Amino acid sequence: MHKHKVNDMNKNLIAFAVASSLITTSVQAEITFNGFASIVGGVTGNDESIYGYDDTFNFAPDSLLAIQASSDLGEGLSVTTQIIARGTDDWDPAFEWAYIAYEASDNLRILAGRQRIPFYMFSDFLDVSYAYPWIEPPVGVYSFNFSTFDGLGAMYNSSIGSFDSSIHVIYGGNTTPLPVGGVLQKSRLKNLTGIAWTLNRDWLTLRTAYFQADLFIEVPDFEPLIAGWTQAGFPEVGAGLKIEDDPGDFVELAFQIDYENILIIGEYSKVTVENTPLSDDENSYFIMAGYRFDNVLVHATYGWDEDSRDRITNGVPVIEPLLPLLIPTNAITDNSFVDASYVTVGLRWDFHDSAALKFEYTSYSDDLNSNNDAGLFRTALVTVF
Amino acid sequence: MNIMKNTKSKFLLCASALLFSFSSLASVAVIVNTANSAAIDEGDISRIFLGKVKKFSTGDKITIINLKFKQATRNEFEEKVLKKSASQVKAYWSKLMFSGKGKPPKELASDKDILAFVAANPGAIGYVAEGSVDSSVKVIKTF
Repeated sequence: MHKHKVNDMNKNLIAFAVASSLITTSVQAEITFNGFASIVGGVTGNDESIYGYDDTFNFAPDSLLAIQASSDLGEGLSVTTQIIARGTDDWDPAFEWAYIAYEASDNLRILAGRQRIPFYMFSDFLDVSYAYPWIEPPVGVYSFNFSTFDGLGAMYNSSIGSFDSSIHVIYGGNTTPLPVGGVLQKSRLKNLTGIAWTLNRDWLTLRTAYFQADLFIEVPDFEPLIAGWTQAGFPEVGAGLKIEDDPGDFVELAFQIDYENILIIGEYSKVTVENTPLSDDENSYFIMAGYRFDNVLVHATYGWDEDSRDRITNGVPVIEPLLPLLIPTNAITDNSFVDASYVTVGLRWDFHDSAALKFEYTSYSDDLNSNNDAGLFRTALVTVF
Repeated sequence: MNIMKNTKSKFLLCASALLFSFSSLASVAVIVNTANSAAIDEGDISRIFLGKVKKFSTGDKITIINLKFKQATRNEFEEKVLKKSASQVKAYWSKLMFSGKGKPPKELASDKDILAFVAANPGAIGYVAEGSVDSSVKVIKTF
């Protein structure tokens, strides 16, 4: 997910944002700095590995430190950059957000630059662990390894009856490398377009989102197979192996009930990518229940992932001469297929005005290969400042 | 979201804990400028202080004034009116601030500062301990 480096940033936009913030400095010299940090340590059971952890206690996978600088330019314009250094990137700082915001009216806010893709309920503040119960939102649902895009976003707030409504629309793209077969490959998302709609009233929040994009992933290892299928007279299978301008879409539904001491959160997402060797539909769900005892929140989450498998070799006769092509091609699809569930139990203790201590245990079971089953214990100190 | 980082913080923490334990006896008054004629009901107050409403019913722009962190009246207000703990309120503003959606309200150090600000700014809304209220402001609701 967000554990991978966001690189190849859109240098023009960043340069623009930085230049604008420098201009502000000279005029108003008022820049506000805020930040947040998570120091997370975790360890799995013997010989197990999951979410970047193994059986040696490790602080790198989830620890991060972020600084946000923002400045009002006046006339409804402001500039904000958020730089995050992550343990998983050897603490190399990267621009996670860099945007110019314009308050077009009391209800409409427009962002231009690098910003978060509002895929999920917790996407907007994905790295701000202080703002939610877990150490990180459930990885099964929050499974994308990218979270930012470069482009335009618009947020529109209004009232519908007794509900507050917030509509967030985006358009843009990114070049975050995506994993295929566990290896990050040169990738591109084009025409990323979508909408997220949140309704809130007192203790109830409802959310839905839809996104689509054209997906490009260069996988050098697929080239010999593509040539092989074309030579064997099945160019359509070869074309299926190419991940080039393939449409993908994403649907999300979520709710949150935060009633007195009771907290219940549920979220569902479905990712569909057509005409690729990767698994077809990825369905992910979680449901969480928590209870607050004064400064302590105890919570339990159950989540599951179910993919549907649609091999691109459907329709190809299973005959001896084609086996050298069929076996590796089907393996690509089968290896991207996930059928797993997990239970997380945890505790959040707000021991300080701006810091919390968290403890979590996750038990993960892979229904396809029990060798991937794992138990993970994590503890975190999270803060905002 | 500025954190008070002075050597008195431990003392303040103890003092606020002590005050907080008597807080059920105190009352909080929500105040506006005397010239403010907007209709504001109890539900509006919570939504105004969470930044969800930007304008009064009269169309005037709202300026929220908060009391600095760790003061008994603030705890009282957040618990009674916003129905959230101090850390829940902090988490709420963190969400908005780090996602480009908004920033927390301006904070002032004392009831006296808040009374002076509200008296001087037609669009201001704040809260003070009921005992601090004077004729320079208008009380719209007491909790």
